[in-house]
Amino acid sequence: MAIMEGDEDKAKEYAHEVLRSQMDPLKAVEQGLSKGMIVLGERFEKGEIFLPDLLIAADAFNSAVEILKPAMEAQKKQVAKAGKVLIGTVNGDVHGIGKNIVAVVLEANGFEVVDIGVDKPSLKFVEEAEKVKADVIGLSSLMTTTMPSQKEVIDILKEMNLRQKYLVIIGGGPVTKEWADKIGADGYAGSAFQAVEVIKKLLGQKGIAD
Amino acid sequence: MINFLEVYERAIKGPIMSEKDFDMKVFIPKLKNVVKTYGIQYDRETPVPSDDEATDHLYKAAVDFLSQVGVYCQNTNRVIQFTEEEILEAVREAPGKCFAGEGKEAGVFGMRKPDERKVPWFHVGSGIVTTSEEMATNKIENYASIAEVNSISIPALDSIRGVPVMAGSPAELYAAIRGVKIGREALRRAGRPGLPIMNLISTAAAAVTTIAASAPQFGLRPTDGWLCGAISEMKIDFGTMNKVAYLLNWGANIGAETSPILGGYCGGPAGTAVVSTAYILMGLLVQKGSYQLSFPIHFKYGCCTTRDVLWTVSASCQAASRNIPMPVIWLGYMAGGPNTKMYFYEAAAYLLCAVASGAPSVQTPHPAKAVKIDAFTPMECQFGVEMAKAAAQIHRPQANEMVIRLLEKYESQIEMAPSGSRYQDCYDVVSGKPGEDYVRLYDEVKAELVRMGIPLT
Repeated sequence: MAIMEGDEDKAKEYAHEVLRSQMDPLKAVEQGLSKGMIVLGERFEKGEIFLPDLLIAADAFNSAVEILKPAMEAQKKQVAKAGKVLIGTVNGDVHGIGKNIVAVVLEANGFEVVDIGVDKPSLKFVEEAEKVKADVIGLSSLMTTTMPSQKEVIDILKEMNLRQKYLVIIGGGPVTKEWADKIGADGYAGSAFQAVEVIKKLLGQKGIAD
Repeated sequence: MINFLEVYERAIKGPIMSEKDFDMKVFIPKLKNVVKTYGIQYDRETPVPSDDEATDHLYKAAVDFLSQVGVYCQNTNRVIQFTEEEILEAVREAPGKCFAGEGKEAGVFGMRKPDERKVPWFHVGSGIVTTSEEMATNKIENYASIAEVNSISIPALDSIRGVPVMAGSPAELYAAIRGVKIGREALRRAGRPGLPIMNLISTAAAAVTTIAASAPQFGLRPTDGWLCGAISEMKIDFGTMNKVAYLLNWGANIGAETSPILGGYCGGPAGTAVVSTAYILMGLLVQKGSYQLSFPIHFKYGCCTTRDVLWTVSASCQAASRNIPMPVIWLGYMAGGPNTKMYFYEAAAYLLCAVASGAPSVQTPHPAKAVKIDAFTPMECQFGVEMAKAAAQIHRPQANEMVIRLLEKYESQIEMAPSGSRYQDCYDVVSGKPGEDYVRLYDEVKAELVRMGIPLT
């Protein structure tokens, strides 16, 4: 309920209550807090709530998880992640909202997301993906003149013999499935929820998903 | 009004904070609070409201909001702040008109009020990418051949000598200069070289490209118009500020470009209407616009013709037209593409909504969410002008009824809207004439709209 209401104080209180009552912290996250985020994600998709509600809830979720983390680590437990996604907006493009929406919806669906921001050079995507050991690279572009940078990231991966290591998903206003096929991306997402579906499906095929 | 160097000083001296803190701790909570305090409410049954008191309340909410939130500078991570008095001073001193064009095409782009019968300034065309120079020339010549047209937008080019244009690259610079030359040449071919081009520089993502292609030897004049965009939401960067600095030094027309996103950080329609109105104040204060290009858009559908976005456009257009002397071009992205009935239903709804609400100018509604390459034809320009003229004869309550009837025709199809034909699929690219099928469809839809009571001639 604390997550659904986006109430950070209540979420923290819930986490402390979990610790006080010696409940299983992992169970509290997976069967309590995470479920709240998934329900909110579904409501967002239906247009019943908007991005601010989701962001506030995500903050409440993260605050509660931070409190529970030491207890989980002590029990050598960690929340199962659906996969690690490195996401950003490509070189020359300063548009970030679409990318931010995808990031928060992915997090709501159990993905670990590393957001490197907007207007990032193509090589940076590859370097950061290597550094954080990502499973997926998500490339956002909102302008037709920045779409070639999506191709450039894929080309760099090929040149560095890293193409098979990562799934590359592209999206953004002018981006289409045809463009994704043309440049050799693994997937195209027309919305944040398509991104979740596509990444889950592709990771499943690759045998990475839980 | 405070000058631009003062704005810059505030960008380097204002309160410092992370962008996330600006979004989460300033923008979102203060917007929610302003919406609540001023009782801004969306009514889905009234996409075109007629309540002047509520409209003026929305304006006051926008002033309050901007004074509380400010504008975030992404390069310095600081907030450019304005007091309420400074905002009101900028409103008092705003000229409310923009002088554009040369010679016999010179004109004054001024204000309109809601329900005013004066026709809006007709701005036609689009920056949607066009893949060949010949097509670009034909299209621009066609736009300019519409007698009523006051100003135009020219398309962007996606390549130069076969080399794809990449943002901020030398190829972009070459293409931007080429695009400007094509634009002016096409206007000469139409016999209207003085017509102002007001979406400069369409083939430029980087400030350096804008500044380079603006050199007068390539054909541009201060009486054209340059778009200097804010970043959603309530943000700016040095790229845009550099363009503003250059254009102010030249004395050229600046178009403050803003696109609040419904469903994004603004939340629902009430919050988006506040931000949409506040952006026009920001256009006066930060970009120092002599005009504004505004297009509130839906985050999920990427178009401006959902019921809630139409309400947002109408409410913020009325708030601005009644209270802020800034000539605004209202631009809508349609979900349907060229050569589809859906496009025309959406365009009719959008133009009724904006023109009845006092839009000083409307631009040709852009087909296929403005993202399909080559998906823009002169036919949409012709319709935009005819429909805007008709809409100027319609008052808000009647426009509201018509918009509701049009929504019934297309609303359920927005998610899976047909993207329509490309220019080369429905036009003869050599003669620049539309195909028979498209002409037939156009005539059919027009007759249908006339039967609905829209006074199209």
